[in-house]
Parts: sequence; C-alpha cells; structure tokens
Amino acid sequence: MSTSSVSVDRDIARAGVAAGSGAAIVEAIKVRKVYQRGKEDLTVLQDLDLTIHEGAFEALMGPSGSGKSTLLNLIAGLDRPTSGTIRVAGADVGTLPERARAKWRAANIGFIFQTYNMMPVLTALENVELPLLLASGLSSKDRRERAKTALSVVGLAERMQHYPRELSGGQEQRVAIARAIVTDPKLIVADEPTGDLDRKSADDILKLLERLNQEFRKTIVMVTHDPAAAERAKKVHHLDKGALL
Amino acid sequence: MNMGVVAVRNLGRNKLRTLLTIAGVSVAIVTFILLRTVLSAWTVAADHAAKDRVGTRHKVSFIIPLPKRYLEEIKQIPGVKGAAGANWFGAKDPKHETEFFGSFAVDPEEYLEVYDEIIVPPEQREAWFQNRTGAVVGDALAKKMGWKVGDRVTLVGTIYPGDWEFQISGIYTAVRKSVDRSSFMFHYDYLNDSQAVANANSKDLVGWIVSRIDDPSRAAEISRTIDARFDERDQQTLSMSERAMNTSFIGMISAILKAVDVVSLVILFIMVLILGNTVAMGVRERTHEYGVLRAIGFLPKHLAAFVVGEAMTVSVAGGVLGVMISYPFVQEGLGRFLEENMGAFCPFFRIDPATIVWALLLAMLLGAVAAALPAYNASRLKVIDALRRTG
Repeated sequence: MSTSSVSVDRDIARAGVAAGSGAAIVEAIKVRKVYQRGKEDLTVLQDLDLTIHEGAFEALMGPSGSGKSTLLNLIAGLDRPTSGTIRVAGADVGTLPERARAKWRAANIGFIFQTYNMMPVLTALENVELPLLLASGLSSKDRRERAKTALSVVGLAERMQHYPRELSGGQEQRVAIARAIVTDPKLIVADEPTGDLDRKSADDILKLLERLNQEFRKTIVMVTHDPAAAERAKKVHHLDKGALL
Repeated sequence: MNMGVVAVRNLGRNKLRTLLTIAGVSVAIVTFILLRTVLSAWTVAADHAAKDRVGTRHKVSFIIPLPKRYLEEIKQIPGVKGAAGANWFGAKDPKHETEFFGSFAVDPEEYLEVYDEIIVPPEQREAWFQNRTGAVVGDALAKKMGWKVGDRVTLVGTIYPGDWEFQISGIYTAVRKSVDRSSFMFHYDYLNDSQAVANANSKDLVGWIVSRIDDPSRAAEISRTIDARFDERDQQTLSMSERAMNTSFIGMISAILKAVDVVSLVILFIMVLILGNTVAMGVRERTHEYGVLRAIGFLPKHLAAFVVGEAMTVSVAGGVLGVMISYPFVQEGLGRFLEENMGAFCPFFRIDPATIVWALLLAMLLGAVAAALPAYNASRLKVIDALRRTG
C-alpha cells in the first residue's frame, strides 16, 4: 500500500469510520448548505436533520430547488455541508479531505444517475468493471468475474459485450445499477433513476431496486419527482425550501 | 481491462478527430526529420572528416591561392606522410547547362594517396595517371550526365575561359559518406600548362593543400608547424584539421543552418499547440463524464493520467507514422535523388538514426507537454460542477 493511501485511510479513520455505529447508516444533524451566487448567499438546506437506517429504501421528493439533490450529494460525499454534521456509513463525510472522500465513496457508495452516464467507448461489462479498477488486491480475472456477476443480478449477462449505444435506455440504466452494486457498497444513491425512462422501463428499474433492497439488503436513497417511483420506497421524505416537511 | 485501456479506448470516441490529429503530428514529425536531415547533411563533411588530414589554405581567404612550391615544403615537415594540392576549376557541360558539379585540378597520384577513401578501379586509375587529358568522375555524376569510361567530353571553363576537352578515364566510388560522388577531377598539369592559366597569372598556384599525417593526435601541432614555416613569407597560410576546415566552410552558412534549426523546433511547438487544443477540446466535451468518474471514486490524478495517456498515445502514434513516412521517403527517394543530382551540396542525405530517436522521444515528450494544462484542468474539476455540465 502506498504512503498516500495509508494517509487517506488515516483520514477516514479520524473522521470516525468505526464498527458498531448502530443501525443508522445516514445521520444528518443540523445540516446547512449555503451557495454563494455573486455577492448573495443562497441557502439551499436549512438546519436539516435526517436519519436513514441500514436496509432502508427511502425517497426524497420535492419541487425543483427544494434541496433534494443537494442533500443527496451531501449524503454521497460529493459535497460538504456549510455547517452541521453528516455521518454516512460511520464516517463524518463533511470533514474528510478530498482524496479521502473519493476513496470513501469508492468503497461505500454506489451511484445511479438519471442519464445512466455510461462510458460510450466501453462495453457493458467494462463499464461495470470500471469502479473495480480502484479496488486494490483484485486481479483482472476477479474484476471480470465480479462484473459478470453484477450484470447477472440485473439480468443483462447476455448483453455484457454490447456497447451502450447498442442498449435501450432501460438496459443502460440496469448496467448503471450493476456498476453501482459491483463494489458491494453500503449505500446506493439514485438521482432520478427513472427520469429518462418510459413507464415500462421505469417500472422494471424500480422492481430491480426493490429487489436489491429486499433480497440483497442494500440501503437505497432515491431522489425522484415521480410519485409512482416514490411509492416503491418504504419511506418518503418531502423537502421544500431546504427543510424536511 | 486497466486504466491504460480506458485511456486508449477514449481515442476511439471521435475517430476522425483522432486520425486528423495523428496525421497533424506525423506531418510535424516528417518536417522535423527532414529539417534535421538537412542540417546533418550539411555537417556530414565535418562529422565524417578524416582525423589524419590537415588542410592548408591562404591565411586571408580560401579564395586566394598558394604557391605550388609550398606543397613540396609541406611534404618535408616531420609527421606529414603525403600532401596533395587542388584547384577549383569551375566548369559546365554545355549539354547540361543547368547541372552544377564540382571540378578540380589535382595531381592524380598524390590526390588518391591522400584521399584513400576515393575508390577507382586499378585499370581505370592507371589509365588516368597516363592520360594527361583524362578525368575521373563520381559515379553519381556519371549516372546523371550519362558518361561512361572512354567518353570524350568538352567542358566550358567559367574561371579559365575556353573549351576544355577531357576523356573519362575512370569512375570513382567512395567508402566514406562525406565524399561527394558527383565531382569531376583531372590533371593539374593540364590546367597549369594552359594559356588560360597563364593569362590569368595563375601558373604554379594551388587553391589549397591537404596533408596526410601519421598521428591524428598531432594534427594541431603539425598545423602550427606548417603555418610557422610560411609565417615570414609573402603568402602566409592557415592550417587546420580537415574537420575544422570543413566546419569553417559550414560557418559561412551558419546563419542559414541556425534558422533551419530554429524552424525545426518551431514546427514542434506548433505541433504542441495543435495537440494541446485537441486534448483541451476533448476534456471540455467530457467534463460531465469526468464528474461521473470522480463521483465513483477516481482521483484527480487518475483523470490527469487519462488525459496525458490519451495525448501521449496520439503523439507517439503520430511520431511513429511520421518516421514510417520519412524513412522510405528520404532513404529511397529524396536522399537518393539529392545525392545523385546535387551531390556537391548533399554528398550524403540520409536520416541519422539519432534523428529518429529524437523524433520519437520529442513526440512523446511534447504529447505530455500538450496534455499538461488540460490534464491539470481536468484534475481540478469539482465533482458537483462537472456533473452539472452536460458536455
């Protein structure tokens, strides 16, 4: 292991990654997020408290500008709160330095985006394998096997050699889900995962998420505008003007 | 799959752009190799000069001749094994008015003894020695003019007016690449005994003298001894090793060579700008994708490595293509043409292997330089901002 990765591990440890942190996988305490627009401050999240437990499948809903995507970004460690504490999978994500946060994300978070975000020059199998390039100690063969397993879970094993352009939107999103689960993350964050899909494909994706939650005990936090999608979650949080209703 | 594969696969994203960029880099590399070959062709005479030869010319200028008697005195200096004088004749073949070639009046036996890298078949050599109007010509010149052994040719003198008749006694080749294989050499006595030389008050003069020495390490010392011998005479000399003498000739066009040198580097700088612009364009277009990679845990250094890897793959591919184009073009085409048709200026116009190595190394290095700023920008992207960009 390199010196830099040791230092990153220490950063994560200092931030409080520890076993036995309880059943809460996400704890947001008085979280405030303020963006600076020119000379003005724009408060997007206002002293927000939220707890999500392991094994949950929860949806964040709200109108545009309500702060739901900002909250998801904070939970996923993509951004830092202006104030307050946000602990995810035992780590105080807001205090982690940039490199440590990237490493933490690779180990703990699976991402599903609205627009799938596949690399067009890689096959489905290679796209799923991509996050495993960051995992140390895995041989090329191991990575490939894991990626195949993940594709089997989402029902796309037979399409593994296809490029994204050769897949439908629903299939692309399933590959994206395989990519999100291939590292066996503690938490899956999904930002409008059905936003670009027709009703049938959206339904398939939501069933798959339900299956991941129920069968594989994956904790899922999903941002959605779609009430039908939100219905599939076990719990729905409504946000408005940066506060939970 | 590994990160290198990802970087290389990214090149297939916009195939036309990648191919055009590789073509652009290869054109720059071809130009670089050509210009460097021009430079090395000019300096080849100096680089491949014999270490055991000393040249002597008039101290003031090489266009002022020396008395021929100096030749005999130089032969007596300890350490000098032999010496030969030569006169620039300057003539044209009226049938080929536009063809330029060097023509010299020399003592055949002395000259071939001093320049033992000039190879004349024994029977032709003997024939030349015996024939006062005989001449030997380089194989490249013979081919160009269509001359064969035994042919009679008439040249028109430019320094010594009149028609000069010669018979081709032999055709020489060379075992050293610095030898001009398109020269015309004939008997000094044929020139010296002519009325034209008498009219020009140039009798018993030689343009320069070349000595063969027995110990190359004493070239400087023997040069000083030669010059000291004539220091008190009316015509003083300047002697130096053949390499130094050839270098002094090159010095006369040093400004042009310097300009060629600079242009060859400017070409590479332009290549960096073209490649840098292409790489930067790719980074801008893929900002959202870089955001995704950062989100799933890739570090800034990984993004930088992807960008540099792509740029270096393009630049090295362009470099290799440039070398593959240049090599046959110069070695089999242009180089052969120049040697056969302009041998007086370019006796050896071939790509130096070191130039190939430099071209490939510079292609690699400049690829990295071109990618430096885009790679830095990619590595500094904020994840949230990058994800918001739709490309």
